[in-house]
Amino acid sequence: MLWIKNGIVIDPKNKIDGEKMDIFIKDGKIVDESEVNKDECRVIDANNKLVVAGGVEMHAHIAGSKINVGRTMRPEEMRIVRHTANKLRASIGRVLLTSPAIGYEYAKIGYTTAVEAASPPIGSPHTHEELDAIPIVDKAMLPVFGNWHFVFKYVAEKDREKLKAFIAWAIERTKGYGVKVVNPGGVEAWMYGGNVKNLEDEVPNWGVTPKEIITELVKSNEELDLPHSVHLHCNNLGNPGNYQTTIETMKLVSGLANEKRQTLHVTHVQFNAYAGSSWRDVASGAEEIAKVVNSMDNITIDMGQAIFGHATAMTGDAPFQFTLHKLTGSRWVNKDSEIEGGAGIVPIAYLPKNPVHALQWAIGLELGLLVDSDKVVLTTDYPNGGPFTEYPYVMAMLMSRKMREKELERVSPYVQKATSLPAIEVEKTLYDVIQMTRSLPARVMGMENKGHLGIGADADVAIYSINPDDVDPAAQYELINSEFRKPVYTIKGGEIVVKDGAVVAESWGRTFWVDARKKVSLDSIDEDLNSFFNSYYTIQRKNYGIQEEWLRNPVRVEVN
Amino acid sequence: MLILKPKFEFDVSVEAELTPELAEKSLEEIKNFKVWYGNAEKTLGELFDVEKEGDGKKLLLDGDFSKVKWVGTGMDDGEIVIKGNIGANCGAYMKGGRITIEGSADDWLGAEMKDGEIIVKGNAKNLIGCAYYGNPSGMQGGKILIEGNAGNYIGEKMTGGTIEIKGNAGDFIGTEMKGGEIIIHGNCGYAGGDMKAGTIKIGGEFDLLPTFRKSENGWTGDVLVGGEGRILKI
Ligand SMILES: [Zn+2]
Repeated sequence: MLWIKNGIVIDPKNKIDGEKMDIFIKDGKIVDESEVNKDECRVIDANNKLVVAGGVEMHAHIAGSKINVGRTMRPEEMRIVRHTANKLRASIGRVLLTSPAIGYEYAKIGYTTAVEAASPPIGSPHTHEELDAIPIVDKAMLPVFGNWHFVFKYVAEKDREKLKAFIAWAIERTKGYGVKVVNPGGVEAWMYGGNVKNLEDEVPNWGVTPKEIITELVKSNEELDLPHSVHLHCNNLGNPGNYQTTIETMKLVSGLANEKRQTLHVTHVQFNAYAGSSWRDVASGAEEIAKVVNSMDNITIDMGQAIFGHATAMTGDAPFQFTLHKLTGSRWVNKDSEIEGGAGIVPIAYLPKNPVHALQWAIGLELGLLVDSDKVVLTTDYPNGGPFTEYPYVMAMLMSRKMREKELERVSPYVQKATSLPAIEVEKTLYDVIQMTRSLPARVMGMENKGHLGIGADADVAIYSINPDDVDPAAQYELINSEFRKPVYTIKGGEIVVKDGAVVAESWGRTFWVDARKKVSLDSIDEDLNSFFNSYYTIQRKNYGIQEEWLRNPVRVEVN
Repeated sequence: MLILKPKFEFDVSVEAELTPELAEKSLEEIKNFKVWYGNAEKTLGELFDVEKEGDGKKLLLDGDFSKVKWVGTGMDDGEIVIKGNIGANCGAYMKGGRITIEGSADDWLGAEMKDGEIIVKGNAKNLIGCAYYGNPSGMQGGKILIEGNAGNYIGEKMTGGTIEIKGNAGDFIGTEMKGGEIIIHGNCGYAGGDMKAGTIKIGGEFDLLPTFRKSENGWTGDVLVGGEGRILKI
């Protein structure tokens, strides 16, 4: 039992903004004062300190096919030793961290939950093995659906009941958490050397369009009432002029509503917010996108913030990665194209003086600043935009115009004419950034017990040496940037795992997966599955997928 | 000057990032300097006899250092003289100063070095002045002179500086070279594969790739990558 005493709490879900209060923890949950025996509590003195829920990472690439190939192709990443094994396991990596390093580094910035945002379904046993090797944080993973032949088939046949049954079957088999879609139709086209350009383009051999795939998946997802909405990586990613595709895509869900959450989450929007017609006249389309997002009550986005320094582009969007490889001349690996997805990996370093990189950096911030704080989640699309370990930098930048002005001095002047960043006066508050890193991502993922400190919530807590009553983040941005990097405590499931910025104990988190089988008739797709597996798969249907007992610490989330 | 002599014959390799600044420290600090012996962390004093003559920025390594890796890594000033053979990665990331090896050198000599000078009286093995795997550039400046022979992959991805080999060298010379100069007085195998810029001068016989075209006083290529590197006979 823990008693966090006299902390200054910010908890946007419960509308608490800087109230001095005590938090009680018992059996891994936040409980009412009456539930604990104070004499038996370990007391944490949080006087003058900021107490918030543990951070929730809702879009990163932390396990499975892509990051693992990235590690293999980037031996230079593995020369950075974070620490040698002693009480904890050895961990290495510059941006592409090893599995233990991922868990430790999240905990070291006060994060306690992390979602792998794209896993090729047939690779899910491997993805889960890697997730199981990440200590401390709670986890979930999203299998990719947008280029799966079953999806094309049922969309083409306009058979939503079967599509729903298929989604429920696939999520159970992969022990996935929701429906991820990457460049719908485009990755299939890539298998013939092409891509789709806009929402109306036909997918080769299937006669369906990205628009139909997205719409049908969203409607199926809503009828199934899964905890998370469709999680979409839009078509046309990374191309100048693509902000229009992004806006058109968002408008596909207008009219749909869900009172618990958004009906569409559009991810790493920075990479999908470019105006202009080529890399010569590329500019920011963030303002237009922000207007649309703010005007629709069923859309959320995450930033995909670029961080100056080393990163590694890796996405299920294989054709885009090939374009990036051609553009930069950097190494390239293509992967998974023979299965239900497709992926590419390209090393990259964002340089402040490079006009395009500076533009990407500025667009991410524009999105973070211009979109309402209850609609935009802070992410870097790790490791695409950069390391998640830099979240404190992004938090400080969102809160301080002065810091942005200082940073603008070192970036390419191209940003001045191609973005509105220099003119943006918005300074987000501590409440806003706690919302963008805790309560909002938890709500977006449909994780009710995450991202807040109300009674019944998971006892995931971060305590920082920041006094909200005393600090002016706009002026004291350096303090914000440094203190969010070293929580006084990170508590995961009621256990103290980080003290004064150092990991002090290794715990093992849970893996959440969603079971929607009760909502569908699996029999309706049985024959189709058998015939597909017999004809096209390299493994037997009965060997496909992953059993719950193979996971280290699974939690089944049943949808009724 | 600091004089180091191995106390015994090493069974496994020693990783010792010894640079001339070490000679300026107190004897006690020097003896407590951390090195790795296989997977065990040791002090310099446990593995070597340490003797000090004055405070000059100079190291004298006396004995068989063929299992001692990373000597002179990142050094920017001063001098290291090695009386015998030296292990891998000697002078890697070097930024200045001089290393003289009276015996022979192992792989990765002067890898990614930026400036300074390395002289080897004996032979050197593979990957001299190379880039470490995954890094974009090898040697960027400075000079490496080998009096004897050298192995394969000399000056891979180098962008500047000079590598001179008085004897013969092996295969894949100046692969992906982007600048600088490699001089081989003897024979070697294939040279200049995927070379973008820089010069390779060869005195003896060598193998020419079909992707080089004849130019004024040698060959230019590698045309496969639109390269303007030059291979010259001397
Ligand atoms: Zn992503």
